[in-house]
Amino acid sequence: MELTPSFDWTGSVGTVTLGATAADGGTRSIAYRIGGGTTLPLLPGGNPYHAPLVAFEICDDPRIWPSIALKACGDITQDIAAWARTAETAYRADIVRLYLTSTRQRNFSDIASLKKTVEAVLAATKLPVIIEGSNEPAIDSEVFLACGEAGQGERLLLGTAEAGRYRSIAAAALAYNHAVIAQSPIDINLAKQLNILMREIGVPRDHIVIDPYTGALGYGFEYSFSAMERIRFAALKGDTDLAMPMICSAIDSLNIKEVRDAGPAQQDAMAVRWETYAGISAVAAGAEIICVRHPESVVLMKEAIANLTLPKGGA
Amino acid sequence: MPTVTFIPSYRKIDVEKGTTVLDAAQRAGLNINVVCGGHGKCGKCIVLIKGGRYEFDREKYGKFFTQNEMMTGSCLACTTTVLSDLQVFVPDSTLIQEQKILTDQLKAEIEFFPSVKKYYVELSPPTLDNPQPDLSRLLWGIHKSGGPSPEKVYAPLEVLRIIPERLRHSNWKVTATVALVPGGYRVIDLEENDTAKRLYGAAVDLGTTTVVAYLRDLTDGSILSVASNYNRQISCGEDILSRVNFAKRNGLEKLQALAVESINAAITLAANRAGIDREDIYEVVVAGNTVMTHILLGIDPAYMISEPYVPVVRRALSVAGSRIGIACDPNAGLFSFPAVSDFIGGDIIADILACGMAERDEISLMIDIGTNFEVVLGNRDWMFSCAGAAGPALEGGEVLFGMRANPGAIERIKIDPDTLDPTYSTINGFRPAGICGSGLIDLLAELICACVIDRNGRIDEGIAKRRIRKGRHGMEYVVVFADDTDIRKDIVITENDIKSLIMSKASILAACMTLMKEAGITREQIATIYFAGAFGNYLDKRNATIIGLIPEIPSEQIKNIGNGAIAGANIALINRRKRKILDEIAMKIAYIELNAESSFMDEYTQGTFLPHTDLTLFPNVQRFLNSCRMRKG
Repeated sequence: MELTPSFDWTGSVGTVTLGATAADGGTRSIAYRIGGGTTLPLLPGGNPYHAPLVAFEICDDPRIWPSIALKACGDITQDIAAWARTAETAYRADIVRLYLTSTRQRNFSDIASLKKTVEAVLAATKLPVIIEGSNEPAIDSEVFLACGEAGQGERLLLGTAEAGRYRSIAAAALAYNHAVIAQSPIDINLAKQLNILMREIGVPRDHIVIDPYTGALGYGFEYSFSAMERIRFAALKGDTDLAMPMICSAIDSLNIKEVRDAGPAQQDAMAVRWETYAGISAVAAGAEIICVRHPESVVLMKEAIANLTLPKGGA
Repeated sequence: MPTVTFIPSYRKIDVEKGTTVLDAAQRAGLNINVVCGGHGKCGKCIVLIKGGRYEFDREKYGKFFTQNEMMTGSCLACTTTVLSDLQVFVPDSTLIQEQKILTDQLKAEIEFFPSVKKYYVELSPPTLDNPQPDLSRLLWGIHKSGGPSPEKVYAPLEVLRIIPERLRHSNWKVTATVALVPGGYRVIDLEENDTAKRLYGAAVDLGTTTVVAYLRDLTDGSILSVASNYNRQISCGEDILSRVNFAKRNGLEKLQALAVESINAAITLAANRAGIDREDIYEVVVAGNTVMTHILLGIDPAYMISEPYVPVVRRALSVAGSRIGIACDPNAGLFSFPAVSDFIGGDIIADILACGMAERDEISLMIDIGTNFEVVLGNRDWMFSCAGAAGPALEGGEVLFGMRANPGAIERIKIDPDTLDPTYSTINGFRPAGICGSGLIDLLAELICACVIDRNGRIDEGIAKRRIRKGRHGMEYVVVFADDTDIRKDIVITENDIKSLIMSKASILAACMTLMKEAGITREQIATIYFAGAFGNYLDKRNATIIGLIPEIPSEQIKNIGNGAIAGANIALINRRKRKILDEIAMKIAYIELNAESSFMDEYTQGTFLPHTDLTLFPNVQRFLNSCRMRKG
């Protein structure tokens, strides 16, 4: 006998649209409307607009990228357009997430090159794109405005706003109608505070995706899981300041001790498994977008999500 | 011996050469403000020497004086020594202002039931026909004058010893002092002739830093005088913990003696001012924190400061004052307020008594703010309490230009939302030298209303105004430019300062919220919020609500009780019936250990936002802030 869970939720997760097709003035081949769930993840009858999506992460300066990911992707990592294209055509990711790691070097000032990079990626893939800008407050404003402008009309997802620096990214998102990732350190209250701050400077709720901040499985992910659960509970209970879709990126999975200690023969498999299990856990906690860096993780994640969200008899 | 004359009061005192002006002033009955204990640290005891020879190092203490004061011969009374006859002008600002007493408390005082009474009796001498013993003759006389019936009255040996002589020497006209004690009455004194009018009592607040004494006429309840001085234990450590540690190292005797000395000094000062004899004080009521009470009574407080933090007694105590060295009538009683835990002491019970929350059906929230804070929630049937550390920010510590509430501290600020220019007032109207707690709370509230900072306390870098700039410590707002200050530096508030303030206010709000959750009540059910302690007196209630220092309730329901400890002590002195409820209160209060409360951290994080993460808890503040933002566009 199958038990049908029953709750008295009155709220639901708000929706955010990523990517714009020609019909909406963009050049993407597909747009996703994420969120919309009315109950806990993976339960029947929750009706999210979309099954969890898998984003593949690439970067414009691979020097600070995990070697395991670089090895798995090969030479294309030297060509950002090729990497983005491969993520769509060969790895079959749902979304491409571009990290502008080039901004993280000392005294970075080549804003014009960023614009070119973003344009190249948008030309190489037709998937919706997430862009991660700088993490240096001094250049935030220029970087985000450049990204926003380069992606005008494409409904990008821009990252990452934090409580200490959200104004410039919000300004770019507002100016060019993109959505924003709002990240806070594994705490439901801090997540809510940031969402309120963003709302109060004019970012609409349907342009915010929550990043609850995720460590690798066994390295803090458990805290993220419970913060995510609480965020989702709050949304379902009607707290609109927490009713946003969530994005999870347990990216340090590829660098943890277990992966480092695994023999050369097992290292790759260990990394993929660790990244995938963290991702599946994040799906169970309610994430709408899961980010990975290993191509094989995309395959495993998509298979797992398909199985988990298969319509069940009677649902 | 040089004579020191204090003006404008024209009090004179002869002192030894080398005496400090402070000592002389105190002996002359002047209540000089000495927060630091007379160590030249607080700069509060500024006096002007008009004539005579003295010794004072003006260079060393120059920072306490304005340009003008330097020129006119200002000194710090505590470090100035008398060399010849002196004429000393004492400005009003240097005298300790009489403390505000809550009006509610005065209502409670209207019921006048002192525990000590005097009976003047004229007895007929014994004869062979009427050989009634002296004592029963006296007791019957007392009874006939309206006193208790003789069988309820006990006369201790020391009184018995003086009865025969006093009765006969006075020609059978005597005044007996009868005190209500646990289990009956007790004759505590017998004087010749009619002294019934000379019956006084003292209410004492034994604080860690300051001792305050009120002298009351126990025949009609009137206030005769008020005096205060610093707690002399300060020489053994500034805070409670260092005092207990001092006691651990050096024994309790010295601290006990200093506590008594401090009380005696305050009472003496008050008695001198009222022009009465200390020996006519028949009762002393003391409210002090748990450690102070223990030390005063000579009970070891050492076990209280380590786990599991248990005090020795949790009830009110009555002892003979002379047993611990109180210099009043030798048989005067000393009544000390009960304590609940290490942090919830007799001072808090006195706060509770003063605001009357334990005698009403409706629910009150009482907050006593200092370096530590105590919060009590409840009504006549139940009470929860907790205590915690608010951090030094609200007292001006850990804030770049924060300072204590000394002259020159900015205590009130308003900011024009368009120009972002502030208007402010300072303590004593001096040129600004820094910002004290009440000023910081105003500043925080005004900055968010003017949209200079967001709810996280971060300054909007996009504002193009000269007062908003990037400084050495990050973004800052300039409150006063150097030219207008006393310190020749721009007085600014930085994002770090704001952060410290938000953390302090968050811990107080979280304590309130935790008690409310524990009791299962909402802010709408709170009828009154009381602020106790000096800080509450100066706090702008509306701004305290805007920043979320306290839960939002209509501001007319927020009241300051000022020094609740002295107010409570006064009530207990004047109205003995109120003493009965003290032990009830002490036994009723449940103490919540915030560190052990799993939800406290969550509440705290919610509180690190202006006013709170759950904006529905602050609907009016929210509406107001929205209107501020709308106006800004």
